[in-house]
Amino acid sequence: MTAFAGWLSQTALSLTIQTHEWVIPTIQSIHIVAIGVALVSAFMIGFRVLGWTGSDQTLAETTARFWPWLVASLGVLLVTGALMVAGEPARELLALSFWLKMILVVVGTTLTWWVSRRGTKPLTILTLLVWVGIIFLGRLIAYDHIWGAWSMSPKA
Amino acid sequence: MNVDGALAAIEATRLAASIRESLYLFPFLESLHVVGLTMVFGTIAVLDLRMLGIASIRRPVSRIALDVEQWAWIAFALTAVTGLLMFTTNAGVYYHNTFFRLKMAMLVLAGVNVLVFELTARRSLAQWNTDAKAPFAGRAAATVSLLLWIAIIFMGRWIGFTTTRVTGTKPDPSVNIEDLLPK
Repeated sequence: MTAFAGWLSQTALSLTIQTHEWVIPTIQSIHIVAIGVALVSAFMIGFRVLGWTGSDQTLAETTARFWPWLVASLGVLLVTGALMVAGEPARELLALSFWLKMILVVVGTTLTWWVSRRGTKPLTILTLLVWVGIIFLGRLIAYDHIWGAWSMSPKA
Repeated sequence: MNVDGALAAIEATRLAASIRESLYLFPFLESLHVVGLTMVFGTIAVLDLRMLGIASIRRPVSRIALDVEQWAWIAFALTAVTGLLMFTTNAGVYYHNTFFRLKMAMLVLAGVNVLVFELTARRSLAQWNTDAKAPFAGRAAATVSLLLWIAIIFMGRWIGFTTTRVTGTKPDPSVNIEDLLPK
């Protein structure tokens, strides 16, 4: 992984991102805007299952309203996320937070799909917590040293 | 006491010091801040998109507002509290930061926008509640709201990049990453 990160950091795309100071903050900002759409889309489906919102419509109707927005925002997150990895390979790929986040993104998306069709309440609580966990891990990529020896990040 | 004196006093409080000195507190507050702000933006966007006639158009506007407004306020409170706590740790630097000032100004504008909407289009909500889109005043408020909140997110990220010491160093493309890693 270290070798891959090293190679990636020398690619033309990576060098372009690295040498333009405004690129990373811009990509991160777009990433956060998309997180807002993804989080609330998942929450609206989850809240409907729990009966907290949208009780005037069925779970299927709520899912039809928010699932496409969740998928679209995840697409934006994937692209902006990939650009951040290209721009700062070591920061991302050697961070424990990054890999835990990737696992939770798959788990969270699968759980949301599941509860949007089955309406399982206890699983919905877990689903909401997974999405919050994804945001925490995303921010913690910047603070991966908090994992101590578990982090693969270069100790600066 | 002048402003800089007050800011220094805020930074000197035990609360600010304990957040600064903790390995976990600042990242924890920042993560909660992101949870709060993404929820504020997302919930407000649901209502704005309804008023613009883009999404949820078959449901009454009042129904959408009922669904999201309480969550927007809860999330805003979470964002404000965590933001204030982060501010105390480095008050002087944040106060003088251009992006911080722009962000605060935009938050005030977002508040004014809500107020104007409440005093205009919302008063006649009963007449357009089930229409596919809001009248002009409502659509204008929704557009301004979306643009402001997206800009606020951008400003917030720029505060992080212009106030933290670590981000001052640019990566040198000529440095081989493997040389930096522990052998």
